[in-house]
Amino acid sequence: MHLSTSIWVWVAAFFTLAIFSFLYKDNPFYKFAESVFVGSSAAFAFLNLWFFDVKPKLWDPIASGNILAVIVPLILSILMLTRFIPQIKWLSRWAIAFAVGMGAGLGIVGMLNGYLVPQLKGTFLPLWVSGDLATTVNNWFLVFGTVFTITYFYFSKPIKGKFGAAAKVGIVFIMVAFGASFGYTIMARVSLLIGRIYFLLHSWLGLI
Amino acid sequence: MKREIPLLISFIAGTLIVISLFVPHPPFNKMEETLNSWYIIVSGFTFILGIDSLLLYNWDKIRRKSKDWPFALTVILSFVVTLVWGIVSGVRTGHIFSTNSTFRNYFYLYIYVPLQATMFAILSFFIASAAYRAFRARSLNATLLLITASIIMLGRVPLGNAVLIPVLWIAVLLIAWVVLLEIKATTSASTRVGYILMLILMVVIAVPLTKFLYGNLSAATDWIMDIPQMAAKRGIMLGLALGGIAVSLRIILGIERSYMS
Amino acid sequence: MNIFESMSKIDRRIIYLILFIVATVPFLFKVEIPMKPTSDVVEAYNFINSLPEGSAVIISADYDASSMPELQPMLTAILRQLFSRNMRVLVMSHWALGVPLAQKAVEEVAREYGKKYGVDYVVLGYRPGLQAVMVSMGKDIPKTFDNVDYKNRPLKDMPVMQGIKNYDDIGVIIGFEAGSVGDFWAQFANARYGARIILGSTAVVAPDLYPYKQAGQIIAVLGGLRAAADYENLVHHKGTATYGMTTQAFVHFLIIAFIILGNIGYIATQRKRRS
Repeated sequence: MHLSTSIWVWVAAFFTLAIFSFLYKDNPFYKFAESVFVGSSAAFAFLNLWFFDVKPKLWDPIASGNILAVIVPLILSILMLTRFIPQIKWLSRWAIAFAVGMGAGLGIVGMLNGYLVPQLKGTFLPLWVSGDLATTVNNWFLVFGTVFTITYFYFSKPIKGKFGAAAKVGIVFIMVAFGASFGYTIMARVSLLIGRIYFLLHSWLGLI
Repeated sequence: MKREIPLLISFIAGTLIVISLFVPHPPFNKMEETLNSWYIIVSGFTFILGIDSLLLYNWDKIRRKSKDWPFALTVILSFVVTLVWGIVSGVRTGHIFSTNSTFRNYFYLYIYVPLQATMFAILSFFIASAAYRAFRARSLNATLLLITASIIMLGRVPLGNAVLIPVLWIAVLLIAWVVLLEIKATTSASTRVGYILMLILMVVIAVPLTKFLYGNLSAATDWIMDIPQMAAKRGIMLGLALGGIAVSLRIILGIERSYMS
Repeated sequence: MNIFESMSKIDRRIIYLILFIVATVPFLFKVEIPMKPTSDVVEAYNFINSLPEGSAVIISADYDASSMPELQPMLTAILRQLFSRNMRVLVMSHWALGVPLAQKAVEEVAREYGKKYGVDYVVLGYRPGLQAVMVSMGKDIPKTFDNVDYKNRPLKDMPVMQGIKNYDDIGVIIGFEAGSVGDFWAQFANARYGARIILGSTAVVAPDLYPYKQAGQIIAVLGGLRAAADYENLVHHKGTATYGMTTQAFVHFLIIAFIILGNIGYIATQRKRRS
């Protein structure tokens, strides 16, 4: 066992244990750690904005005398900041409208060109591949799994008769997918715990 | 004016982006490039919206000396300390994340990283507790979900196939238990015979299934992920994509205006 | 209360304690159980190996400390493969706080392989705007990053950036995803510009990425700690993921035991209620 001699590792261990202490019950150590996290996260939003966005994209061009090249985004950015001044808050809507409109446009482009078209193309598979039973079976699963899942989410028609049967098969696929997601989620959460335990045992306590 | 101009802005921006997908030629490709470069700058500012209310809320708590005000003070203080430390260290070394910045080497790596990582690590405890408490085979669908999740969890770790055998047989025994309870409860002789046949069938299937999964668990997990799981995810996402397109169109056409409130 | 009922009513703190112990003990013994790499990981590994030496590769670290245990070892292992094959590495991020994590990994691995900043690798940093950044990179990568690296040093002076204009000059984009950025890589960089993409992701995100793989929009999905451990195995450099996998296995067994216990209790109480 080689206990860490770095004060910073001890600080990190303190915050790690403070958060873990919540598992026993809510307590001042946890509340303190949580408050530090919330406050510094808010500060990061400003720091990231300055160092990754405003400085390279607005400040530097302006400092080199090239203000005209960035005049529109500069105005929009300033309008965005009017949100913090109640009297002229409404002006920020212009900038937000720009961001929302762009987001909507990019959303349509992404969904249409980036999802619907290639994904539908991927679903048009041959239902009979001669000499390859495995591929044939998989293609059936793939095509009808997709179609029946969509059927289950089609709410404009009552789920009855043949349509209802298709939807019932759809729900089987959906349950398998949710099961897979659930299994993977457990896997991910456990990995995160492993990461912290490794830190405590390795970097702090020096046991491994 | 207060409403029309924003609607017009979002209409123009959204429409130009969509047109430029179908007509990637001048002038639209140039317009798209310009709009994107503006958007990259402006969208950064959306991350700080709402932070004023967080700070005001905590400031108010301190001012009124309400319960837990010392923690509200901690929020404000850590905001200020992080900001000042970041700015000083960032300006001195050229960037907050410069390899020689004290902000990165001490604050980020030894305070922020453990805080954020541990916040998410405690979720593993909650999910374990939830698995124990809520993950019940209440219906056929729930059972299917449970079985898939278990196969995946075992299929992705070493020794999973060895553990799967007892797990599978315990599951068979549990199902047999439920079926036996049903047999006891029912009065009709034919239903009883049906249940007994079902039990025998289950055991008959379980033997080769165990053998197959022991040798091919990893491949079986891959198959579940690649085929049925994938098909359902695609079906769900296709629905979401259509919905997403509809919402985006409503925004561009000014029908959906909740962002203006 | 009979044994079955008490089985379904263990206090949550006892469950937490058992979980904590099971997650700690395997580490102390450093047990390592050999595993065969999953097909996806082998596919990704072979694809990267098939790229000509000196190809430019974009590493996009779209995660932060909350998913570091899964993605950091995966990134480190992949960087080992890239540097051992003398690839040029461009590090960027769509999550601002991914920058220092990717930078830490690349600095460490570069030192091992004697690689130099600006010559063999560069940290471009982060730009907000997500999809807009991806579209913009399809036209001009340096310009998207204002022709400078994260510390404002001009890219045109750096040998690593020579001949790089857009996605056509990039061998592969490897995204490390803790959220929806991976979807956007497929939807924008691939669908629009035909960029070749490998997505490493947290296990939470991985199942959602399989449709892209089947449709050929991405080359492979590397899901969670298991993929990281497999990659460490392939590059012959064992690290936290490999050691973590044993613990992972034992915790999975424990959780399945919890599920079984809970269900035994459930069936027993149902029986009692019925009678």
